[in-house]
Amino acid sequence: MTALEISGLAKEYVDSYSGDRVTAIGEVTFTVEEGEFVSILGPSGCGKTTVLNIIAGFVEQTAGTVKVGGRVVDGPGPDRGVVFQNHALFPWKTAAFGLRMKGIPAARRREIALEHLELVGLAGFENRYPHELSGGMRQRLGVARVLANEPAVMLMDEPFASIDAQTRRKLQEDLTRVFELRRPTVFFVTHDIDEAVFLSDRVVVLSRRPSRVREIVTVDLPRPRDWQGTTALPEFREIANHITALLSEGGDREGPELTAA
Amino acid sequence: MTLGRTAGPGLRGRTAAPASRGPRGRLASAFWFLLPFALLLVVWAVVVAATGTPMRIFPQVTDVGSAIADMWASGDLLRHLGASLRRVGVGALLAVATALPFGIALGASPKLAAFFTPLLRFSVSLAGIAWIPIATLWLGYSDQAVIFIVWNAMFFALTYNALLGVQQIPIELIRAARSMGTGRLRMFWEVLLPGALPSVVTGLRIGLGYGWRGLVAAEIIASSAGLGYALFLAQKSFDTDVVIASMAIIGVLWLLMDRLVLSPLERRTVERWGMKSVVS
Ligand SMILES: Nc1ncnc2c1ncn2[C@@H]1O[C@H](COP(=O)(O)OP(=O)(O)OP(=O)(O)O)[C@@H](O)[C@H]1O
Ligand SMILES: [Mg+2]
Repeated sequence: MTALEISGLAKEYVDSYSGDRVTAIGEVTFTVEEGEFVSILGPSGCGKTTVLNIIAGFVEQTAGTVKVGGRVVDGPGPDRGVVFQNHALFPWKTAAFGLRMKGIPAARRREIALEHLELVGLAGFENRYPHELSGGMRQRLGVARVLANEPAVMLMDEPFASIDAQTRRKLQEDLTRVFELRRPTVFFVTHDIDEAVFLSDRVVVLSRRPSRVREIVTVDLPRPRDWQGTTALPEFREIANHITALLSEGGDREGPELTAA
Repeated sequence: MTLGRTAGPGLRGRTAAPASRGPRGRLASAFWFLLPFALLLVVWAVVVAATGTPMRIFPQVTDVGSAIADMWASGDLLRHLGASLRRVGVGALLAVATALPFGIALGASPKLAAFFTPLLRFSVSLAGIAWIPIATLWLGYSDQAVIFIVWNAMFFALTYNALLGVQQIPIELIRAARSMGTGRLRMFWEVLLPGALPSVVTGLRIGLGYGWRGLVAAEIIASSAGLGYALFLAQKSFDTDVVIASMAIIGVLWLLMDRLVLSPLERRTVERWGMKSVVS
């Protein structure tokens, strides 16, 4: 089953001050199957966040459609959960209660919350406020909050970009573990090629602005994956090198901050 | 954001209390709080004694003390205090109940905000005291007139700060709530109101200040009880000791309100949530 269907998506921003028009997305088409992990990669400023924001319903497209579970979406909704780059946790909600908002009875809600905190490795932290957690823990909480809501699609915009390399590795491994356990449908924005290849089943590579899909790369690496084992596979390097080449072909000075493969 | 504290497993799920919160710390903080007032009293006593200022112009500290004792003994103090507190209380509750929903609604809707902001700015300068003539015309020399002035004095400051508070909530938080399917009512109680709270508390502080001033002015003109009225009555009979005593009581009440109501509210909410850096 196709969980997410993006067809002919285009976005033109109009600067409200100067009236200048910027075509952020030229024409983007791809699908994400149910239980699939799809990443989107591209040069900085090519419109990855814009694609995610349109799918989430935060930004309106100029052309094209977004379908979730076959239904055209219009505005934000609980069928699409978002993990934000800056976690976007509510400062006034403790870990346990930041997870809810749906009309589920309190006792059941707490159960769900605790279960998901445990899943992301935050057991015992249910009474903390976000400001009492480290950056990595906040990101874990952000993931737990979305998983607990059981959206049809999980949208993640560079969730680990502002986290130190060591913690990031751990978060990537834990995300893979949770993904392999739960099989949510994930759409993941990143500009780290290794991260995209490690996490994904397929990687959508965008050209620079106005962006189009250059290629959709299938990552046929065995699961379960772990960082050491998976990145050491020759196929991993091959795929990562292929994507690096794709990105540098279309590259210019505005090019991406690529991690050397 | 404020300091991201890495919480070790030993740390219970509470913000570490600022150092000044222990029993000794509490004494010290009370001492530092009262010291400037003690100094003021000393300077006052010395200056009045040294210059031999007559009571008619400015009373001695001890005169004011005995004036307060007399007011207490005659029951006037409680009567005036009761009347003033009730009016401030009712006016403030009405202001909170009306201004918060209105301000938050404005903050949540750029169109409404754009429409009402000029009106709000215009009204701030006129809030409270300038309305006393109209209030007495409409409501007579009555409790309602005074309450109306308190409400009016607070309303605009509260509305404006609630509006600003909502506008300062990071867009991601609103988006996160919306993509969890949050309905209007929950959005108000669980996202917009707590998110706007740092600014709302500021609004309450400013608003209550305006409210007290409005109260005193309105009581001078429009009533026959209350601290403002006591002030007015004493001035007419040149009882400067009672005038100053009433002023002192008004100031002390304001301080108590801040320390007993606003500060605890702030500690339990915005400080607890790490939305305000705690400097202790
Ligand atoms: N609200 C906006 N108004 C006008 N232009 C915008 C707006 N948001 C984004 N853009 C422009 O659209 C283009 C794509 O932006 P977007 O943030 O989607 O890129 P990105 O691929 O996520 O970049 P990065 O990798 O740096 O995060 C950029 O040129 C940006 O300047
Ligand atoms: Mg981006």
